[in-house]
Amino acid sequence: MNYHSLNHICSFRFALRLSAVVGMILLNAGGCNLSGKPDQADLPVSPEQIANFDQLYTTNCAGCHGATGKLGPAPPLNDPLFVAIIPEDELHRVIGDGRAGTLMPAFATVNGGSLTDKQVKLLAEGVKSHWKSEAPLDHSPPAYAITNEPQTIPAVEEHTRRLAIYQRACAGCHGPDGSGSQGNRSGPGAINAPAFLALISNQALRRIIITGRPDLGMPTYAEKRGRTAEYEPISTAEIDDLVALLAQWRSVGSTAVAEQH
Amino acid sequence: MDVTSQDITATDAPRPGRRTFLRWLSAILATIAAVVLSVPVVGYFFGLRKRSVFWVDLGAVGAFPLNQTRRVNFDNPLRQPWDGVTALTGVYARNEGKNEEGADQFRVLSVNCAHLGCPVSWFPQSGLFMCPCHGGVYYADGERASGPPPRGMFHCEWRIEKGRLQIQAPHYPTLQDTLTASAKRCTDSSVHV
Amino acid sequence: MFNLLKQIGRWFDVRLGISDTLMPMMRHPVPREIEGPLGWWYVFGSAAMTLFLIQILTGIGLALVYVPAADKAYESLLYLNYQQPLGWYLRALHYYAGSGMVVLLLVHMTQVFMHGAYKYPRELTWVLGVFLLICTMGMFFSGQILRWDPDAYWGLAVAGSMAGRVPVIGPRIVHLLLGGEIIGGDSLSRFFALHVFVIPGALIAFLAVHLWLVLKCGVSTPPVAGQVVDPNTYDATYHEELKRGVPFLGDAILKDVLFSSLAVIVVVAIAAIVGPKGPTAPPDPTLAGANPRPEWPFLWLFGLLSLSPPSVETFIMLVFPVIVIAILFLVPFISNRGERAPSRRPAAVLFVIVAYTALGALTYEGATAPWSPKMTAWSGDPVPENFVKERSPVELQGAVVFQYKNCRNCHALDGVGGRRGPDLSNVGTRMTANQLIDQVSNGTPGGGNMPAYGKQMSANEMTVLVDFLVSLRPEDQLPAGAAETPIVTAPGAHE
Ligand code: FES
Repeated sequence: MNYHSLNHICSFRFALRLSAVVGMILLNAGGCNLSGKPDQADLPVSPEQIANFDQLYTTNCAGCHGATGKLGPAPPLNDPLFVAIIPEDELHRVIGDGRAGTLMPAFATVNGGSLTDKQVKLLAEGVKSHWKSEAPLDHSPPAYAITNEPQTIPAVEEHTRRLAIYQRACAGCHGPDGSGSQGNRSGPGAINAPAFLALISNQALRRIIITGRPDLGMPTYAEKRGRTAEYEPISTAEIDDLVALLAQWRSVGSTAVAEQH
Repeated sequence: MDVTSQDITATDAPRPGRRTFLRWLSAILATIAAVVLSVPVVGYFFGLRKRSVFWVDLGAVGAFPLNQTRRVNFDNPLRQPWDGVTALTGVYARNEGKNEEGADQFRVLSVNCAHLGCPVSWFPQSGLFMCPCHGGVYYADGERASGPPPRGMFHCEWRIEKGRLQIQAPHYPTLQDTLTASAKRCTDSSVHV
Repeated sequence: MFNLLKQIGRWFDVRLGISDTLMPMMRHPVPREIEGPLGWWYVFGSAAMTLFLIQILTGIGLALVYVPAADKAYESLLYLNYQQPLGWYLRALHYYAGSGMVVLLLVHMTQVFMHGAYKYPRELTWVLGVFLLICTMGMFFSGQILRWDPDAYWGLAVAGSMAGRVPVIGPRIVHLLLGGEIIGGDSLSRFFALHVFVIPGALIAFLAVHLWLVLKCGVSTPPVAGQVVDPNTYDATYHEELKRGVPFLGDAILKDVLFSSLAVIVVVAIAAIVGPKGPTAPPDPTLAGANPRPEWPFLWLFGLLSLSPPSVETFIMLVFPVIVIAILFLVPFISNRGERAPSRRPAAVLFVIVAYTALGALTYEGATAPWSPKMTAWSGDPVPENFVKERSPVELQGAVVFQYKNCRNCHALDGVGGRRGPDLSNVGTRMTANQLIDQVSNGTPGGGNMPAYGKQMSANEMTVLVDFLVSLRPEDQLPAGAAETPIVTAPGAHE
């Protein structure tokens, strides 16, 4: 035996190092929470089990409707007026089944989506409760649902009436024929573009006319912003008329509509 | 010490006939032992289980809307009783309407990417399957759209029985052992339903 | 009392013959330089071995609880993590000591290579070392499978698909690998057998021979420029050298002890601070959102595979690893004589630098995996607000189409989104509307990385999408092609 070397091994420094290791392990056993101890709460939740509105919204809706429910390219959900007028059933149905005639996809599993019925319900309830208005609304707003599907070839006087409403409520920003006030492509401009109208349903048009896009500066059906001082909120029937006008533009184009009459 | 003295006695008294016999005997016995030992053991290690054919029910034909792709998960009958959730298997089934004879036509695709087997996801909006591993993309009919996969997705064998869609329980598909080739190979073996 | 102990010790020693056999081995002479500062180069192998001992110890500990059955393995891992006192710590230690082993093996191997220590007469020692490296990598892969979560499941799937490409016998190898028709209990059991019996058995056997060779051939002297290895004279010279040598079990072993202790402390600390790796979700292959990744020692291979064109892929999967291993085996046979000092072997130094740079770069690529689409980006990554403000209704629709058609899964906006395709934040300055229509409709020509969207969207969707893409440019920049074609009203003028 080489006692000299053994002495080294058993030297004070080595013992110190060894005891540090042992101490660490004992510390652990003693219940001291070292940061490495895993927490069961960190286990991943399977996607069908997620039952948290924020998480569901962030992974499924934020892409188009914006991180905070507004300032996304799709109409905002974080909009008290919208939340006030849309019935919860309707919201539930739209999330689950998608909205025909628009780019809103169906999220329910029965429709090939990824959300369980429970999760769809949770989202609908969440939108309703998270983004409802704090103060009561000053006007009693127009009904959300479209009342009657418009005829595309209206009588002349009907058409004149629709155009008059358009001039009063919309032309200030969107120009007399819907091609935008300054002829700009960007900005609050053209709403007569066939591709735009083809990808939006009458119901969605009605919703935008009622709620505007507060996040992007478009006024609601009632606001005077961008309109004349004597502007009065348009009625439910008048909104139907506007939708009908846009539907007409959709099927034949806005200039053709003008020539027709 | 002992060993050497024995050795010496052995060489001192040679009995050649007996010695040769013993050598041959031990060689032959050792060979027999090696063979009887190794044949079954090697067979155990490298043998293949018989591939059996099971049909799995995916649901009534009516449950599959026309021209829509649906993910169906089922418990794979090729499982072992102790496989647990691992035996769950997914396929994408698409109702492609009726052919001229009025028979329902389906397209059933394995979730396993034809590249290296990762699970592809279906995106109904763009009508594409995308693979999370290396970005392989397929069209709704399973044909390759882009990325590294060397071929389209694997098609499962399907049939309609009493108005219900059934598929042949898929094994893990690979390039040389696809799900359709195996069906042909196995039609002559025992069929369980 | 001490006398009694001594007597007992002697009783055993007479029968076991330890002081006659083992002690001389431990005290075998090693070159004098090892006692000096140069001896620090010789500590990595023993430290790797120390970590291997930890692996045996922790491995036995884990085997006491772990259930190698497909329906119970995951639960038993959760039990280890959350219920079994210190179970989490043992799992963490097993993972980080294993990782440390890989690191130390690489360092050890690099040192031996740089110092030319594999040259005559230590060629076989090197070859055994390569076997040890292969075994260790095998332990890492099989160990990942035992962590029976989605990564394990899909790791097996990828391994099976790779094996399935072997010409002719591919399907049989797949069957052998998976143990059955599907990935399941049979697959887990065989990787358990590999991880717990077969590979460790081989590893211990190789290690024994490796150590025997270290004893038999002796430790190489630190290289000196100009001192060449000549198999005809080496033995005599080395013998002379050892006459001035020092016993291994003396001051020489102290460096090993010190460094091994350090390695243990580091591994213990990391294990305690970082904790065990996984398991993540249960091994349910139908769970959405699977995004399998290999363990870190294999990330470089993942990177290499993903970056290589499909035409050479099968080669890289099946032949390339064989070539790498063959090269490693052949190292001592390519040159077993001549200079050992790195200063006189520029080619060897260059090789090491190139190899590590490539490994590092590929590992980085593998870790970030920019080629993987981000499957949730289309619905979860918001369109940046400045791409929404001041946009026309058509462009807004286009942004929705961009998300809806899953473009975002591969293309980022403002750095957020998939990274498989280029970030499109400024695409309006690079491509005209016509070029964009062409690109979107036809994808990458020849079926490259982008699918052809021509049949995947309507004409209206295409129109609004391209309008949106053209609008993606800084306010003060004209769209692509605007310089050549004079335009009446400047588009994009928001003032
Ligand atoms: S596994 Fe699907 S692309 Fe590689």
